Amino acid sequence: MPEPGRPDRMMKLGAFLSTPGNHLAGWRHPDAVTTTDMDFKAHARMAHAAEAARFDTIFFQDTAAVNGSEAMARGDTSRSKLSRTVKLEPTALLAALAAITTRIGVIATMTTTYNEPYNVARRFASIDHLSEGRAGWNLVTSQIEDEAQNFGFDAHMAHGDRYARAAEFYDVVVGLWDSWEADGLLRDKASGVYMDRDKVHFLDHVGTNFRVRGPLNVARTPQGRPVVAQAGSSEAGRELAARTADVVFTAQTQLAPAQAFYADLRARTVRHGRLADDIKIMPGITPVLGPTMAAAQAHYEQLQALMPDDVALQSLSHISGGLDLRQFPLDGPLPELPPSNAAKARQELVVRTARERNMTLREIARHTAAGTGHRVLVGTPDYVAEQLALWLRSDAADGFNVICNYYHKPFEDFCALVVPRLQEMAVFRREYEGRTLRENLGLRVPENRYTAARQAD
Amino acid sequence: MPAFRAARPGAAARMSRKQLRFGAFFSVPSCHPTGWRHPDAVPEADLGFRHLVHMAKTAERGKLDALFFQDSVAVVGSSVSHGRAPFNPRNGRQVHIEPMTVIAGLAAVTERVGLISTCTTTYNEPYNVARRFLTIDHISGGRAGWNLVTSQAEDEAMNFGLDAHVEHGARYERAAEFHDVVRGLWDSWEDDAFLRDKASGQWFDPTKMHILRHEGEHFRVRGPLNVSRSPQGRPVVAQAGSSAVGMALAARTADMVFTAQPTIAEGQAFCRTMRELAAAHGRPADDLRIFPGLMPIVGRTMAEAEDKYEALRALVDDETGLRGVARLAGGLDLSQFDPDGPLPPLPPSNAARARQDMIVAMGQRGMSIREIGRVLGMSQAHRVLYGTPQTMADDMQAWLEAGACDGFNLLFAHYPAPLEEFVDLVVPELQRRGIFRTEYEGATLRANLGVPVPENMHA
Repeated sequence: MPEPGRPDRMMKLGAFLSTPGNHLAGWRHPDAVTTTDMDFKAHARMAHAAEAARFDTIFFQDTAAVNGSEAMARGDTSRSKLSRTVKLEPTALLAALAAITTRIGVIATMTTTYNEPYNVARRFASIDHLSEGRAGWNLVTSQIEDEAQNFGFDAHMAHGDRYARAAEFYDVVVGLWDSWEADGLLRDKASGVYMDRDKVHFLDHVGTNFRVRGPLNVARTPQGRPVVAQAGSSEAGRELAARTADVVFTAQTQLAPAQAFYADLRARTVRHGRLADDIKIMPGITPVLGPTMAAAQAHYEQLQALMPDDVALQSLSHISGGLDLRQFPLDGPLPELPPSNAAKARQELVVRTARERNMTLREIARHTAAGTGHRVLVGTPDYVAEQLALWLRSDAADGFNVICNYYHKPFEDFCALVVPRLQEMAVFRREYEGRTLRENLGLRVPENRYTAARQAD
Repeated sequence: MPAFRAARPGAAARMSRKQLRFGAFFSVPSCHPTGWRHPDAVPEADLGFRHLVHMAKTAERGKLDALFFQDSVAVVGSSVSHGRAPFNPRNGRQVHIEPMTVIAGLAAVTERVGLISTCTTTYNEPYNVARRFLTIDHISGGRAGWNLVTSQAEDEAMNFGLDAHVEHGARYERAAEFHDVVRGLWDSWEDDAFLRDKASGQWFDPTKMHILRHEGEHFRVRGPLNVSRSPQGRPVVAQAGSSAVGMALAARTADMVFTAQPTIAEGQAFCRTMRELAAAHGRPADDLRIFPGLMPIVGRTMAEAEDKYEALRALVDDETGLRGVARLAGGLDLSQFDPDGPLPPLPPSNAARARQDMIVAMGQRGMSIREIGRVLGMSQAHRVLYGTPQTMADDMQAWLEAGACDGFNLLFAHYPAPLEEFVDLVVPELQRRGIFRTEYEGATLRANLGVPVPENMHA
């Protein structure tokens, strides 16, 4: 039921570009272009398509490792069938895409576990300047065990420590983003004074994980601060998001749990002294389209037929808690999993789905591989549009992150066939509301803490 | 002008002559620290990407080899030190768009010009740096370069949890290992590793993937990198260290060296030493391109050039210059000395050692502290050359033919006019003389610099 006072809410759309395709065998589809992973021009084509369709943002996930490299280093060559192996580093990609677009937001993932806050604050503030106010940072603590050994660690940092570091990391980054007040740069040729010494501030942060003096060498950004997104759905992830995030990406496959997540996160946000509407919740969805429901189902089955069982099984490797699932019979049940140090909430979702639907190991593996745990919507453009509108109106989402199985056709079909339906239903914009990502998402511009203190005096 | 065209050497003669190469050095909003006050200057070039796009396209129109962005990970001068309060409000170089972000953005809107960004080995992780430059190399179709520095600014340390800058020698040891890790990661995949075979479902050939497994003094990095091999083999590596350890590292690892050399004789000596050091690592002389810095001030007549030079000299700010000297004083508080007196003996600098040697040499030539400051305060101590297109071409040609350089890294007193004037006035004169290209030789930075495409070390 629509909440009173929010009947005409419009949905937000993100294009989660996961090249060469999110479905683990999507690249093998006859229509798939297999070289999109390393091809900038292919990414430019996707960004232009998303902007023409009035998407709020494009979005890139990230890992600082080749997935499965820990296993490969131990001699396991079976990973050579996994397509998402190499990619363009997303913050560099964001800068390049910002240079050739004018309205769409650009959000990239960057981990707090293997970076320094000064470098991260700088990079996103820089992209915000370059894009004239369209940048966003998806804060993650890293899910993949493979990354640790690329950064001098033997094992991934424990889940709790990662979140403690992430929370402090966020505070440092946001503090650095406030280094310069809006009028800190004078550039006055006549007097020869470039900057106003009173409008630039040392952070002098001293904490458990970081000591950072500041100030940042990038001035206040066009949208006050870059947008902050988060994808953590565990307890620690929800608390951090409620305090800090403007946008939350989540995997939700069923309406009732999605509504519960939506209500819970908004309530937590209010408990942190913010407005419920200060946070935008966007589950991922994977559209599998066809002109009829039967044709869409055939499209889905065609993709599933391209996926060998051993590839499907690898989709569970990062949530298996270190257990090698290849030792279990494929037609038996999903075994009990040790707790995951990587992606807690995602492990819970997979286990719950398998148990509720009484799936075999093969079935849950193939199900997960098809959408990496996100909701797969198989149907006609009308069906998909109606489902999205239903979730919006049922207070299960503020919008959706659209993830495609391969490129370019499924994404361009979504833009050409589903978006116009959403516009006809008056649940999605026909024109951008503003110039910045904050304006389009309907987010407030945060105050600079020093300017606010000055005005309070 | 048709009369000149007839006198132009034929294409064959042009091909056989030594060719100049150019980097356009970017230190926004002006390489002259107070040059942003010039009436023609656009100080918004500090954060305004569209100004940088204009300049990149201007450099590309002039067929310059590369844009070369400096960097530091701090607001320079933010420390309370050297007897001075933090910040110098007159210095324009306070904020800038992070340069790897800039070159990634420029890669999308340019076609041929090389894109080199500075990135420090002291406050980064090699996996992240390897990944980002290789990505920009893919985005640009093989035009990316990494200017490896160990950081000069003491201010940076405190942004990364340290109380003081890492000691000069230790920084270079880390840098050498950092470079080797990056280079190893860049070779993680052979050129034909990716099969993308829809029929068999085989994505890559595991025999063409190489796991680095680096275990060293400073880093343990397993690999492989999650970026495929570069369109130019590897991104170009530039270095600016002219101290003994800096030169040793460059001799082993750099494709391009950026240096400050005041005279032809010193340029010749530097080139000779660099090439000897490189030869000791088994590298042919042609593997290394040496670019002294040069601040060009062009006039259509000598009188106009002199006027422009005087106008820029008049903008030099003594306080900014003295701060520049103070930064190189090795911790000695110069405020206790008469600025119009001689430079006292300095303790060794932990920041920029070769640069300190340069100011000591100026002091030995009898320059006062203030006079040395004025040199730093105009061109960051690089050579300033003013003149007509003809006299400037004479000078550069003399350096080239004397073996004192392979080209120059051009420092512009402000943006964009001095760059536009160089491209519109000096480049045609150099082309007329047959010592600068009229078209890019290739699509990649390596092809244009004429440095070899490295083989994959694992192949």
